[in-house]
Amino acid sequence: MSVMDRRSFFKVVATTGAVAAAGGCGPSAEQLIPYVVPPDNIVPGIPAYFASVCRECPSGCGLIAKNRDGRVIKLEGNPDHPSNTGTLCVRAHAGLQGLYHPDRFRGALSGGKPIEGDVAEKLLADKLGALAKARQGGRIAVVSGLETGSLGRLMDEWVRLLGARPRIAYEPLGYEALRAANRVAFGRDAIPDYAIGDATYLVSFGADFLETWLNCEGYTADFSRMHAFYQGKQGTFVHVEPRLSLTAANADEWLRNAPGTEGLIALAMLKIILDEGLQAPGTDLATLRAAVRAADVEGAATASGIPADTIKVVARDLAKSRGGLVLGGGMAASGSTATDALVAINLLNAAIGAVGTRVRFGSASPFGKVSPYSDMVALTQAMAGGQIELLVLVDVNPVYAMPPKSGFAEALGKVPLVVALASRPNETTARAHLVLPILHPLESWGDYMSEEGVLGLMQPAMGPVQIEGKAVAARATGDLLLSVGRQALGLEEGKGPLKWSAFQDFLRDEWQKGSREYGGSGPFGDYWEAALRRGGVWRAPGSPTVSLRPEAGRLQAGVATLDGEGSHVLVVYPSSRFYDGRGGDRPWLHEVPDSITQVAWDSWAEIPAETAQKMGITRGDLVKLTSPHGAIELPAYPTDLVHPGIVAVAMGQGHKYPGAFAQQGNAAPGTVSQANFLNVGANPIELLPAAPDPASGGLPHLAVKVAIARTGGRRPLAIPQAQFNQDDREIAQWVGLGPARELELRGKPPEHASRPGMYPAVKYPEYRWGMTVDVDRCTGCQACVLACQSENNVPTVGKAQVAYGRIQHWIRVERWQEGTAAKPVNMFLPMFCQHCEIAPCEPVCPVYAAYHTKEGLNGQVYNRCVGTRYCGNNCPYHVRKFNWFNYTWPAPLDLQLNPDVTVRQLGVMEKCTMCLQRIEAAKGTAREAGRKVADGDLQTACQQTCPTQAITFGNLKDGGALVSKLSGSTRSYHVLEELGTTPAVTYLKKVVRAEPAGGHDQGGHKA
Amino acid sequence: MSAPPAQSAIATTASPTWADVNRDVIRTVGMPGDKYFAWMCLVALTLACGAAAWAWQIWVGIGAAGKRTPQMWAMYITTFVFWIGIGHAGTLISAILYLFRAKWRTSIYRGAEAMTVFAVMTAGLFPLIHAGRMWFAYWLLPYPNQRYLWPNFKSPLVWDVFAISTYLTISVVFFIVGLVPDIAALRDSATGIKRKIYAVMSLGWEGSDQQWRHYRRAYGLLASLATPLVLSVHSVVSFDFAMALVPGWHSTLFAPFFVDGAIFSGFAMVLILMLPMRYLFDWYAYIADKHLDAMAKLILVTSLVLSYFYSCEVFTAWYSGDHFERASVFAKATKEYAWAYWLMYSCNSVTPLVFFWRKARTHVPTLYIVSILVLIGMWFERFNIIVPGLGHDFYPYTWGTYYPTVTDTTIIVGSFAWFFILFLGFIRVMPSLSIVEVKEVLPHPLKHGHH
Amino acid sequence: MTTTSVLGVFAHVDTTLQAIRDLRAKGFSDLTVYTPIPVEEIEHEVEKVRPLSKVRLFTLVGALTGTATGFFLTIWSSLKWELVTGGKAPVSIPPFVIIAFELTILLGGLASALAILVLGQLPRLKPSPTYDPRFTLDRFGVAVACAPDKVESVQSLLSTAGAEEVRR
Repeated sequence: MSVMDRRSFFKVVATTGAVAAAGGCGPSAEQLIPYVVPPDNIVPGIPAYFASVCRECPSGCGLIAKNRDGRVIKLEGNPDHPSNTGTLCVRAHAGLQGLYHPDRFRGALSGGKPIEGDVAEKLLADKLGALAKARQGGRIAVVSGLETGSLGRLMDEWVRLLGARPRIAYEPLGYEALRAANRVAFGRDAIPDYAIGDATYLVSFGADFLETWLNCEGYTADFSRMHAFYQGKQGTFVHVEPRLSLTAANADEWLRNAPGTEGLIALAMLKIILDEGLQAPGTDLATLRAAVRAADVEGAATASGIPADTIKVVARDLAKSRGGLVLGGGMAASGSTATDALVAINLLNAAIGAVGTRVRFGSASPFGKVSPYSDMVALTQAMAGGQIELLVLVDVNPVYAMPPKSGFAEALGKVPLVVALASRPNETTARAHLVLPILHPLESWGDYMSEEGVLGLMQPAMGPVQIEGKAVAARATGDLLLSVGRQALGLEEGKGPLKWSAFQDFLRDEWQKGSREYGGSGPFGDYWEAALRRGGVWRAPGSPTVSLRPEAGRLQAGVATLDGEGSHVLVVYPSSRFYDGRGGDRPWLHEVPDSITQVAWDSWAEIPAETAQKMGITRGDLVKLTSPHGAIELPAYPTDLVHPGIVAVAMGQGHKYPGAFAQQGNAAPGTVSQANFLNVGANPIELLPAAPDPASGGLPHLAVKVAIARTGGRRPLAIPQAQFNQDDREIAQWVGLGPARELELRGKPPEHASRPGMYPAVKYPEYRWGMTVDVDRCTGCQACVLACQSENNVPTVGKAQVAYGRIQHWIRVERWQEGTAAKPVNMFLPMFCQHCEIAPCEPVCPVYAAYHTKEGLNGQVYNRCVGTRYCGNNCPYHVRKFNWFNYTWPAPLDLQLNPDVTVRQLGVMEKCTMCLQRIEAAKGTAREAGRKVADGDLQTACQQTCPTQAITFGNLKDGGALVSKLSGSTRSYHVLEELGTTPAVTYLKKVVRAEPAGGHDQGGHKA
Repeated sequence: MSAPPAQSAIATTASPTWADVNRDVIRTVGMPGDKYFAWMCLVALTLACGAAAWAWQIWVGIGAAGKRTPQMWAMYITTFVFWIGIGHAGTLISAILYLFRAKWRTSIYRGAEAMTVFAVMTAGLFPLIHAGRMWFAYWLLPYPNQRYLWPNFKSPLVWDVFAISTYLTISVVFFIVGLVPDIAALRDSATGIKRKIYAVMSLGWEGSDQQWRHYRRAYGLLASLATPLVLSVHSVVSFDFAMALVPGWHSTLFAPFFVDGAIFSGFAMVLILMLPMRYLFDWYAYIADKHLDAMAKLILVTSLVLSYFYSCEVFTAWYSGDHFERASVFAKATKEYAWAYWLMYSCNSVTPLVFFWRKARTHVPTLYIVSILVLIGMWFERFNIIVPGLGHDFYPYTWGTYYPTVTDTTIIVGSFAWFFILFLGFIRVMPSLSIVEVKEVLPHPLKHGHH
Repeated sequence: MTTTSVLGVFAHVDTTLQAIRDLRAKGFSDLTVYTPIPVEEIEHEVEKVRPLSKVRLFTLVGALTGTATGFFLTIWSSLKWELVTGGKAPVSIPPFVIIAFELTILLGGLASALAILVLGQLPRLKPSPTYDPRFTLDRFGVAVACAPDKVESVQSLLSTAGAEEVRR
């Protein structure tokens, strides 16, 4: 069978609507669209969708890129992809801003000066060649991110041919301790998949699986499967962590432990289970008993600050549930006792019979293939020792991600030639002698194994981005390695190793080899094309038998040892927005508020309220945190939601990006200048020791005590949410599990419409669009905010404007807290235009810019708006956003704008439209098919991306539609119902297991 | 409507003759001195700053003013309502007091009417300054167009457009009608080009019985039309708030509450303008203590009524048991804007109480200070309704503080300059005391003594 | 037949009144009285023989036109552009009453002003022959239009009534 060339391939794929890919992969969209006879069946105005893989973090979710006129304008999850099943997180959405980043390298740089690409490649090739010939390959080092697909194999092959040092797959969040613990407990150097969805009783020791931990997007969906209230049932989730993380906020019970005591608690639980004989049948009792020899419940209680009774209750319920699952991550997966703690957790899982059932090594996580941090330390020493002559950094940023004490930055100076392959400038590229620009994953071919048996396929969703009409002179990493490798080794194209003319061909060969494993029978062409359409191939996971090793019994759990004389333990946690910091150059991620603190832009130090009070620190005061290894300065955020002994700082900010956009941003005229636009905040890594944790080889994030000092300065934080106490306004409502079950079984739905009205009933000829939002399902991940922002051309306005209540997001995720600080009940409430039937905003508009459509939408006519802002005052939900300035999208960010949505100009009011453009599109398709829009024909952007399906959209006139059913649910209510605005958006109450202290039953509404 | 001289309203030892009136009024019209020009320059400069600030705001966008969510209205609407309020005294004096035949009005009504016209002209600027896209503000007018785009007549803002433009028109008509016979007097005392100009402006008025009879009828009818208008205008303006949902706005109390406040601040402004004129033009014979006393009494009464409305507001908030209303009032009185709240009370409800003392009612410095405090208090009354009201409404998520910016502050100061430049200009080219009406209340010349 | 007019200038209200009464008694009805201000006694005297002023008719017509316009504009335009706002019916009368009211006042007021001009024959381009600038100061004038042969008797009448000055 002839190898299909690129062009003819696209002819094939074009049938699937892959049109614009050709447009994309051609020289550029701008040059293609005006063609009178468009090549490769380009149809301007018709979007094409491409399956690919998200590479914003190593979990590798499947995604679908929407290409419109040769430009990717929106990312959505790939429903077929097993690891995320159609949804995406904030970081994935913001991937677009990496693709269209104004600071993207236009071409190769040498010492910061632009040079010709081939010249730059020759420089590298010659150096490689020289070293290889001189049998000096050992002086070549290659560091890349985690690449579990063909590119990884190509790089290893490349390294082998050059005789270079083995490639380091560097991930700042490597979870080395998890692997170490699995080596000890099960003799497996891997990280399993945790079937959270199948659990009925979930205990997590610091594993922030709703934020960053392993396959967090998939886990969020699984969590809602196990925990969301459904048919009167709800799983239980207990979370052990020193601070209230987003994950903790979603727990039925948050146990606030002293940091580093997770191991003790786990062992205590194990002891209780064994003592009471609650362990699952067929467990290796000998090993378990050995492990708990030294365990002591009271001791654990005193050390951790969690009452012994609580530990006992949790342990019993966990074991009795017979569907228990224990996770260990976050703080527990870091620091001196991490490995032992995680071994203890493994034992606990073994004791309750979770191993093999809910802990699945069959579908292992890609994180198992990360090179431990200790490799980087070794490399750094080698560099410092002058043993490295050529360092190739493939899309990694160790200068930022490694502690300064590691001396990596200095060691770079000792390397004669440092070559960085990257698409955007960062701290590391700034120090590289040679920068070879590479294409963004959305512009290149590739594949990624996001878990054992799930192999995602990446295809170019568009051509190289154009900046000022000129495509960036970048190449795909694979293509670059192939040509450079050939030059270096004097090989020629077509024969020998590295024979492939393009990485795409290598990829195809790799897939041809692997096709059998994935049941590929029949001609490879079909297999390949099917994979492209589907976004990859996946097979049923194997189920290897896993058994405890006696070594597991020899753990000695203790309290983590910390260096430094400081008063507080420093807790460094990965950011749900910036991950390990790689998201730090995306304005969208800066502007979407952190769900717990609601801080947008800048970073903050969570300081215990009592400490703050003692030291007279208020929110926004600058504090200096000093550890034996460094000091950082950042604004304080006093809170009673952290353990009194800790200070918590999120990773990911405090960058020093060299780019112009990163430094100035785009200040709207009249606003304060946005100096250090993306370089805001502080990097807590600078406080950590460089030495790897001996047991696991990982970087200990829980390792130091810090001293807190007021600097006297102030840097107020930008926090859109004024307060977390809803002042008895019942905006977010809850109902106890008992009553909820009661209602579910025989309750009648509350009659929202029965209110006597003064006005004639509004008529809806065909549709009445409406939504429901399940507060019980919403975990506050903020993905909907960015989905909306990218779909609806919502601008970012910068810190000053956000701080002054001028944030432009059409949808916001509010956190409302009830109960006490020790036992809070947190409710996350996505709030957006409620499309009220009796809308207060409409009649006050003097020019009919706001009016009610025949489909029940609250219409807003931008070009009729005069800007009296009366509607904004009169909207009780304050979801109307005003264009205070002319907001701009510096090139090429403007290429991301959705052509179907107006870009609003200065002085007009805007708000959620329930994705009107999608409704119209759906109506068009339905009309062509000669039918009405059916339920499920369309999803709004926020609904589409929601991992927990908290948002439902549809036609309220269609009684069969899911949205109608849910609106009639026994948990349904309208926000501020007593105002009689009769919104088209219905909320479903959160179901709480432990009713908040002082909380009153919110079954009824205010009279 | 001549009065028996015994009850002549002007109670001065030597009551001026008709000729004195012409003399005393006409001498105020004409070439002013350097002091006047100095003042004019100062005012003009301030106005220029205001204009520049507005230009800047149009250029960069309304964001240049300190507005935010939820305070999407702030100082502009505050000042708008303030000026509309000032604009009430004039028509009140010339219409209502005319119908009630209150003689003491005659010597102040011309100045008051001028003040009304200029105040409304100032207020009229603010909807433009406030609009996000002021260049499209004309869309609020019902002008014919082939696309059938009409304003939304259900919107209080459109009611405003009609109410205020009507009020301005009627006030101006009233003002000019009153001026005509006086301009004729100017004409007959002037010479040369001035005479010609006044001749045109006086429409050739001669004071023949034919002219007077229609004139008097029309004047009476205008007065009776203007009376409901005065009461309606501020009611309609108050609907901007009363028709809204915001706690502290949504109240049936607002119409009378606003009208009373308007009269209150209007009279304060009249005093602020009249006292200097009386001194500079030496009009003690016409603006006597009796007039000051009468105005002080009116201020006192309206202040007491206002205090009643204030207590109503608080009472209803408490008695309704409505959580939002209570929270709103509580926040106004205790949260970040409390200072403004209590400033309002002390200025509007406490200071005018000094007028219970007869002496204070005619004591010029007291009158002046109280009047200024009243204006401050009334500005803050509107501020307290708008800014803290919005800042603490239904939705705790958005609660927050509004901060003024240089831009909006400058524009507001500029609006005062705009008002004063108009008024200062007026008093030098037109009789700011009504020659005819003052004569009417003077003893009529009789040959055979008074019977 | 031609008429000449005689003017008597008075300094006092009562003398002016006297003159008017005497002239009327002698059958001179074509009088023009100039006064610096409207004086009730004189007006009363003059009005005796005249029908009521038509100003109020102007006002009435203007006002009613306003009301009609107000309701027409609002109702017609909302029917032309039938948009629902806040669940209210496109044509909802209560808010429209405000518009109608304002227009009533507006047109009524303008009509009254118009009446002054029309009925009072203003503007008057050049002063009438019998006008004297003192009439805006403190003098009253009575101008009598009479047949040339009656001039003497009129003059004597005026002077006996107490005119400071009599001229033709």
